[in-house]
Amino acid sequence: MKILSKSNLVPFLEGLGLEFKVNAPLYEGQDVLFGDLDSSKLATDFIGKPRLSPKEYSFPQRERLFTFKNNGGVEIEAHLNETKRVIWGIRPCDLYGLKFLDMVYLSDYVDPYYQARRSNTILLGLNCNKAEESCFCSSIGTGPFAREAFDLLFTDLGDVFLVEIGSKAGKKLIEKQANLFTNATSKDEKQAGILEEKSKKTFKTYIDLGKVEAKIAGASSSPVWAEEAAKCILCGGCNWVCPTCYCFNIEDVTSGDKTQRVRYWDSCQLGGFTQMAAMNSRATQAERLRQRIYHKFSYNPDKYGGEIGCTGCGRCIDVCPAGINIAYILRRVAN
Amino acid sequence: MKRVLTTCEFCGCGCNFYLGVEDGKVVAIYPSVSHPISQGRLCIKGWQGHEYIHSPERLTTPLIKKGNRFREASWDEAYELIVDKFNQIRTRYGNDSIAVFSSAKCTNEENYLMQKFARACLGTNNVDHCARLCHASTVVGLATTFGSGAMTNSINEIAGAEVIFIIGSNTTEQHPLIGDRVLRAIEKGAKVIVADPRETQLAKLCSLYLMHKPGSDVALLNGMMNAIIAEGLEDKEFIAERTEGFESLKETVADYTPEKSSAITSVPEEKIVEAARIYSRSKKSIIIYSMGITQHTTGVDNVMTTANLAMLTGNVGKEFTGVDPLRGQNNVQGACDVGALPNVFSGYQAVTDEKLRNKFEKAWKVTLPPQPGLTLVEMLNSALEGSLRAMYIMGENPMVSDPDINHVEKSLKALDFLVVQDIFLTETATLADVVLPGVSFAEKDGTFTSTERRIQRVRKAIEPLGDSKPDWKIITELSSRLGYRMDYSSPAEIMDEIAKLTPIYGGVSYSRLESFGLQWPCPSPDHPGTPYLHKGSFTRGLGKFSPADYKTPAELPSHDYPFVLTTGRVGFHYHTGTMTRKDWALEREYPTGYVEVNSQDAKQLGIKNGQTAKVISRRGEISLSLKSVDTIAKGVVFIPFHFAEAAANKLTAANLDPVAKIPEYKVCAVRLEKG
Ligand code: SF4
Ligand code: SF4
Ligand code: SF4
Repeated sequence: MKILSKSNLVPFLEGLGLEFKVNAPLYEGQDVLFGDLDSSKLATDFIGKPRLSPKEYSFPQRERLFTFKNNGGVEIEAHLNETKRVIWGIRPCDLYGLKFLDMVYLSDYVDPYYQARRSNTILLGLNCNKAEESCFCSSIGTGPFAREAFDLLFTDLGDVFLVEIGSKAGKKLIEKQANLFTNATSKDEKQAGILEEKSKKTFKTYIDLGKVEAKIAGASSSPVWAEEAAKCILCGGCNWVCPTCYCFNIEDVTSGDKTQRVRYWDSCQLGGFTQMAAMNSRATQAERLRQRIYHKFSYNPDKYGGEIGCTGCGRCIDVCPAGINIAYILRRVAN
Repeated sequence: MKRVLTTCEFCGCGCNFYLGVEDGKVVAIYPSVSHPISQGRLCIKGWQGHEYIHSPERLTTPLIKKGNRFREASWDEAYELIVDKFNQIRTRYGNDSIAVFSSAKCTNEENYLMQKFARACLGTNNVDHCARLCHASTVVGLATTFGSGAMTNSINEIAGAEVIFIIGSNTTEQHPLIGDRVLRAIEKGAKVIVADPRETQLAKLCSLYLMHKPGSDVALLNGMMNAIIAEGLEDKEFIAERTEGFESLKETVADYTPEKSSAITSVPEEKIVEAARIYSRSKKSIIIYSMGITQHTTGVDNVMTTANLAMLTGNVGKEFTGVDPLRGQNNVQGACDVGALPNVFSGYQAVTDEKLRNKFEKAWKVTLPPQPGLTLVEMLNSALEGSLRAMYIMGENPMVSDPDINHVEKSLKALDFLVVQDIFLTETATLADVVLPGVSFAEKDGTFTSTERRIQRVRKAIEPLGDSKPDWKIITELSSRLGYRMDYSSPAEIMDEIAKLTPIYGGVSYSRLESFGLQWPCPSPDHPGTPYLHKGSFTRGLGKFSPADYKTPAELPSHDYPFVLTTGRVGFHYHTGTMTRKDWALEREYPTGYVEVNSQDAKQLGIKNGQTAKVISRRGEISLSLKSVDTIAKGVVFIPFHFAEAAANKLTAANLDPVAKIPEYKVCAVRLEKG
């Protein structure tokens, strides 16, 4: 474990900037968003999470996959993005989100576009000393302090960051700017432990994951689906903000003699999605809502060795104009 | 990635988000969490509706018609042709032979310039825009009763109301982030009453739903007021201190016993009385209405009647109360505010008022016409009659949006010269002699004013596509070439001029709009803006009860046309679909039009769900697929108007409210046949 004084964070990140594209949470007015490093806007003390996770650095909202010429279609140019990238300030929930996406896109089936981005990206996490109202990562076990899926992990100890090394790539980053770091003492590590316990006490949203897992299969006819879905305004927001949602749609955009194949985030909450993906008749909104939750808490764990498809970040709660709350639904399911 | 904070271009809620720009292209959207309305949320149009910006179909160069076809032209050529034609027509037929359609889609600065262009450059008050088609009756009705024709309260107050009475508004679909506040209020225990001929999403979630007949709003509201007075639930103190004309209201509504009201509206008597009790017993009751109230030949009566109800119970002029007309388009409030109307300059200052006219004459250094100009539908009629010879249409598509499209087409074709400025070659643009390529909201600076009177910044994120130009720039260049110089280096400078001449915008400047805007009235640079109107006293002094009697809609069902057609929108598309229909996700949800029919009626007609139906009115016919539902009253059918290939407005009639001149989109008579 290492120590980085807070005043050395910007020099460290700017140092990384010589070799990498550096992304970090930034203050835009009062909003916090991941962006290209700008030390005058760097957010280090924000509580909770930026509205969108860093998922989009590996799986963007809109991504050009390849371009082909229409004159016979032989000339194809693939747009693999191999930018060398470091992302700092990733919350534990989002680290898990990326781990989950890696399983989806880099295990059985390898998505070359995702792989090009992801394999060139180094992840620097930032533990949460305080939860936001909607956070429930402590119930899922992904936070508020991370255990895995990072190259380096930062903990805010007040004047300094405690830095834990999670991989060789992370270690190398420290070695290159070793003069900025000192060794951590057991006192520092103990303090981090105290902070984690304190942080756990700040959660306001809970679910009982064990009970949910035990009961979800039997809850398909619960009235909760129809009751909650009745409010849905079909904005797709719960999908757009979710760090583990991986569905996409592909469109060809033609201009002149060139056609671009573009992939976009898609939303399973929309009627047109189910029409395309599964059946020919549109599922009801209740079925779509149930599908979204089942996908995360039942189908995914079945497919990926027990890994839950929800990080507990709570973004889908904050984003929903209808007040549909996954934690409330899961509590109903559990009881 | 560059990020640019801006205001949504799709509806009057006025959400803010960041456009993510990479390589000169908008590639991502980030809702603003700290924005007072969005609060990190958006509807699907805000999240997903911006694909059109980079559509290959965007106009990138001026077009001039040669024979039946367009050819690309330079700006110089296009301007010269317009200048020649406009000058010829003015010399021959006079200033009032030209008219200008401004746009609720465009910025305040552009609308301000457009009305200035009409008045100062062309010398005519013939300027109007599609507010005529949505809330003209609000502007008149609320100005008469309260003295100001805008939403009285603020969006966030809705979440704190105890009672919300929604009439003629499909709020969750059409104003999603306001729907968000209604849902939050329900969560907190508020009682919501919905009156609508269609059982909307909120109708299913509310405490009391009244399915009234299209066009029976005055009878319903008068019935409620009758019950309130009968039970002594009116706010006597408020009436005595803050209002005038109560006796005449009392007299009028005395006639509308629940029994009579029920007979007209087909809402059961008990429900009318219950709604009256719920609404009047709370001191935090809000009325929300939208086009279900305004788009009638009795639009002004409907609006005034909602205002009467609010005054009767003292539910106006305070926080968590009020009469809240929800303005549809992103900047329809602002386009009205800055004077894109035939009878007023910016800030609702009447052109007929000599003192005010003099003020503008002095500022603009020109003599201005004193008599009000033509309203939108009147313009089209005058074109057909031959008194109007040329039109300049900016960012509107009357060939899909206006009533009785066959008539619109004849009118536009009758013109000697038509200029259309748009970002796409719309149905209307194809009829033009010259087409000028404007830009999308992402390519220009400016401001939009949301339905809660919030003036907010629109910020340029990318360069104009091809040879296209910001609309404000085009207007200034054209005006200067026509001999009336307009020199502005930026929209900020235009806003400074608006502020100088417009008392309600008096304190507005770009530097003050940085943190999510200001709510007008904002008369001076140190004024914080106004979250709710009519505090202490009404804008006009005393609130004026303006009772109205129920009048039947202009076109009633008959033997040959037995159904009432009511038109509207779906949540996934915007207006005539020129933008949203270019987006895969929105298009996937609603690829084309449909007619919604009560399942029993459908059965009787022998047309099954999904089969094609022919819908025929006295003015035209269209074919589209039938959607059999239980959420619409028997005898009523609904068609969304977004879809040019199944244009609802081929069927609608241009019957107008006598004062506001708004067409009755919500009622016309049709017959259905198997297609
Ligand atoms: S389902 Fe909701 S809480 Fe879970 S990861 Fe997705 S956005 Fe976060
Ligand atoms: S965020 Fe809420 S309203 Fe939007 S699609 Fe998801 S559940 Fe529906
Ligand atoms: S609610 Fe209106 S302003 Fe907000 S995102 Fe949707 S269309 Fe845009």
